[in-house]
Amino acid sequence: MLIELRVNGELRSADVPPETTLLKMLREHLDLPGTKLGCDVGDCGTCTVIVDGVSVNSCLLLAGRAKGSEVTTIEGLANSNTLHPLQQKFEEYGALQCGFCGPGMLMSAKNLLDNNPTPTVYEVRDALAGNLCRCTGYTKIIEAVVDVSRDMKAESDA
Amino acid sequence: MKSLDYIAPNSAEAAVALLSENGESACPLAGGTDLVVDLKHAPGDIELLVDVSRIDEFRGIEETEDGLRIGSMVTYGEIMSNPICLEKTPAIVDASHTIGAVQTRNLGTIGGNLVTCVPSADSAPALMVLDAEVTVAGLDGKRRMPIEDFFVGPRKTSLEPYELLVDIWIPKKNLGKPSDFYKFGLRKGQALALVNAAAAIDIKKGKIIDPRIALGAVAPTPIRALKAEALLANEKPTPELIVEASEIAVTECKPIDDFRASLKYRQQLVRTLTRRVLTRSVEIASNR
Amino acid sequence: MVTRTTDIQTEEDQLIPSQESKAPSSQPLSVLGGNPVLYPLELPQSDTRTSTPAVGQRATRPDGRLHGLGQTQYIDDISFPHMLHAKILRSEYPHARIVNIDTSEAEKMPGVIATITGAEVPENTFGPTYQDQPVLAYPIARHLGDGVAAVAATTEQLATEALEKIKVEYEPLTPVFDPLEAIEDDSPKIHGESNIYTSKIIKKGDVEKALKDSPHVFHRQYKTQMVEHVPLEPQATIASWDGNGRVTIWSSLGRITLGREDISRTLAIPQSRIRLIGTIVGGNFGGKNEIRNEPIVALLSKKSRRPVKCVFTRDEEFTSSTIRHPFIMDYTTGVNDEGLILARKIRLVLDGGAYCSWTGTTIGKGSILAPGPYNIENVFVEAYAVYTNKTTTGAMRGFGAPQVCFAYESQMDEIAHKLGIDPLEIRLKNGFSENSLSPTSQTLQSVALKESLNQASDRFGWKEWKA
Ligand SMILES: Cc1cc2nc3c(=O)[nH]c(=O)nc-3n(C[C@H](O)[C@H](O)[C@H](O)COP(=O)(O)OP(=O)(O)OC[C@H]3O[C@@H](n4cnc5c(N)ncnc54)[C@H](O)[C@@H]3O)c2cc1C
Repeated sequence: MLIELRVNGELRSADVPPETTLLKMLREHLDLPGTKLGCDVGDCGTCTVIVDGVSVNSCLLLAGRAKGSEVTTIEGLANSNTLHPLQQKFEEYGALQCGFCGPGMLMSAKNLLDNNPTPTVYEVRDALAGNLCRCTGYTKIIEAVVDVSRDMKAESDA
Repeated sequence: MKSLDYIAPNSAEAAVALLSENGESACPLAGGTDLVVDLKHAPGDIELLVDVSRIDEFRGIEETEDGLRIGSMVTYGEIMSNPICLEKTPAIVDASHTIGAVQTRNLGTIGGNLVTCVPSADSAPALMVLDAEVTVAGLDGKRRMPIEDFFVGPRKTSLEPYELLVDIWIPKKNLGKPSDFYKFGLRKGQALALVNAAAAIDIKKGKIIDPRIALGAVAPTPIRALKAEALLANEKPTPELIVEASEIAVTECKPIDDFRASLKYRQQLVRTLTRRVLTRSVEIASNR
Repeated sequence: MVTRTTDIQTEEDQLIPSQESKAPSSQPLSVLGGNPVLYPLELPQSDTRTSTPAVGQRATRPDGRLHGLGQTQYIDDISFPHMLHAKILRSEYPHARIVNIDTSEAEKMPGVIATITGAEVPENTFGPTYQDQPVLAYPIARHLGDGVAAVAATTEQLATEALEKIKVEYEPLTPVFDPLEAIEDDSPKIHGESNIYTSKIIKKGDVEKALKDSPHVFHRQYKTQMVEHVPLEPQATIASWDGNGRVTIWSSLGRITLGREDISRTLAIPQSRIRLIGTIVGGNFGGKNEIRNEPIVALLSKKSRRPVKCVFTRDEEFTSSTIRHPFIMDYTTGVNDEGLILARKIRLVLDGGAYCSWTGTTIGKGSILAPGPYNIENVFVEAYAVYTNKTTTGAMRGFGAPQVCFAYESQMDEIAHKLGIDPLEIRLKNGFSENSLSPTSQTLQSVALKESLNQASDRFGWKEWKA
């Protein structure tokens, strides 16, 4: 089945079996292994990507359903010379330990700030509830997201 | 996952035709948050997925002469950001917010939740207390039924073979009716309900009118607490009455006793949750 | 922001221990020839610990950048040309004798390149303490997570489908699941004569007498459940056996030196022919502390002459990796009217599951810590680890400490409640302080228990809350 979609701004296509999930297509057919497979049933959030402006579990979304969509993955967060502010703060705060939850966590955080640039701490927690970090580094992760939104606010106020 | 075929028809007729042509081996696909998980573990005989999520007739939220129409393929994320729902059916918004987490809510649809028909389905109680009806389409055209008639048993609905859920209707008179939803799970995020509850009431001249209580995860399907409702009707909404109604609600449930929670604990949850949703609905009604 | 490479390592010489360093590792820890193990009684202070500027500073992780960019390469992100994918067939029964395995139908499938069973493993036993685990169960399967055969195919999907074609003939044996049942003489035996495979006794003072003399005696049984580590990255391995008879293995294993020993043993080749590469690990927590599918993947690579990858499914992660030991804990404690503990008698039964794994460490730590951080003159601890036909238990953060903590702290609360003593007070009254003796009569140093309790309770407003 030929699937054409736009990934990180680029038009991409691949011929995949119909049962292929978007996650598998990204990792194995489009050479974008940044998005991870964790639980494979929508619980852990490591496979989170943004499809047409909303975050989804790419392990549950069949590639066929993503046909023609606009997809953003972790590989599309930074550009070649600057980190996304979330990546910057995650690094400074030591928010990622083993790092496996990172790509999904960052995409969920991006999805939140895209829709709500000034979230409360409760809203940050709610937005990240679908992303598990087994190293339990949640405090640093939440602090980093809150700090990015603070910076964004300061910038827009200035 | 095993080899499957996938097709995305763009009308209800085309989808029904595809299902009837392929019989047992075909199955409708919506957000996939129930179905794809099942397919990964126990694929069964399914060979063809008929993606109904893009059918226009199944999508969208709109207010009409009749009331509020919510397409079966509307996601929880869409409900939570819809101005009409936010204003007129906050209990449905609250219920949507308790489902899974952001990513699941952006994929999962309200129709998929009703068709999967587990006793703990979180969208059911809020729809039931607002007297929702559902439209289904099949080989013989469409039919409409009260939502309670849709639920038959655990994972069993009254859908006939090849029938599809089209949309959900909330009658006009119930838009803005004071209502509340509360879910209790073992965690705040990503947890199924041990018990969920919704209530809706009107208060006229100091008396309760049209009380509704619905409870989930306490019986083979989501249920209405009819005896508790009867106790409340045409009475003054006092805290004592609400406590009494909550006590009656407990007797109307048959929760299971398992490793997630004991029977006694679930009964206590019914008591507490019923009291909470009733109290909150009364508060909203009184503040009008 | 301080980073390791700039600020800290400018004073590099300080980080390298000097010649006279009294670091524990520079002293002989054990004497050969069956003598008892000697530990240094006074831990030497290391200069570097106190003078390094890293302590108290925030240091960014050197790998943080790549993690955030999604460019860290975990095993499943690595692939090689012509690489195959392996899947493992799991036992149908919790306890069974394998009579026959027929892989011929699977081998006939196009795309299936190699299969393997336990009978083909050169030395089919491994384990960090006892070598009681098979690489692939044969001839006895001892729990549902035991692998019985494996397949390497050109795609993961094909390998999964091929598993269904493998025919295994079992002769079911009676399983035993309850450790208290397994301990009985007439229970089905899982390995050898007895299901008790490790035990430990700690005695101090005279518990029976002290209990008899105690004004109050409390007894209760506490139980904890299985816990899986659930690393977000499932266990993963790639093996490539080359033409010179050397094998390179990329593994998510945490302990590669021990792992290499086990791999060498199971494959029956010298360690010099094994190159084991420990990659970045997506969470370990103790669950990746011993080999798991490495020999299987290596042998499949040897057979197929191609690199082979195997990534556990989430289900396998639960059933076929190790988990935390469930404990059944009987606590009998004698106290006086003031709440001072006079004696504590403890019996621990560890549900070990099918194989020993890291039980030795768990039973040791669990027993020593079982009486709790309290000064108790009379202590008796007996602990037994028991085989059952369930998931193997092994290392997990704390090695038995969290289980016993649940028991002794629950009992402290019960005692406090019954005697009408404040729960904080009773802990301060009994708690260890500087130079207290542990249940094994070790003199304890740097004991900040009471300070910690006081600080913590001040911060969360214990007194105000009680008021
Ligand atoms: C991580 C996670 C967390 C979850 N948490 C919750 C929770 O908290 N509460 C809760 O209630 N549920 C929860 N769920 C379950 C699930 O998300 C919901 O039931 C969801 O609404 C299902 O909708 P879907 O669109 O994904 O349906 P799908 O999985 O696509 O379909 C579900 C079933 O409905 C059938 N179907 C779909 N559309 C139609 C149609 N139009 N006509 C006829 N049949 C149809 C399908 O054939 C299938 O049998 C969770 C799921 C996951 C993966």
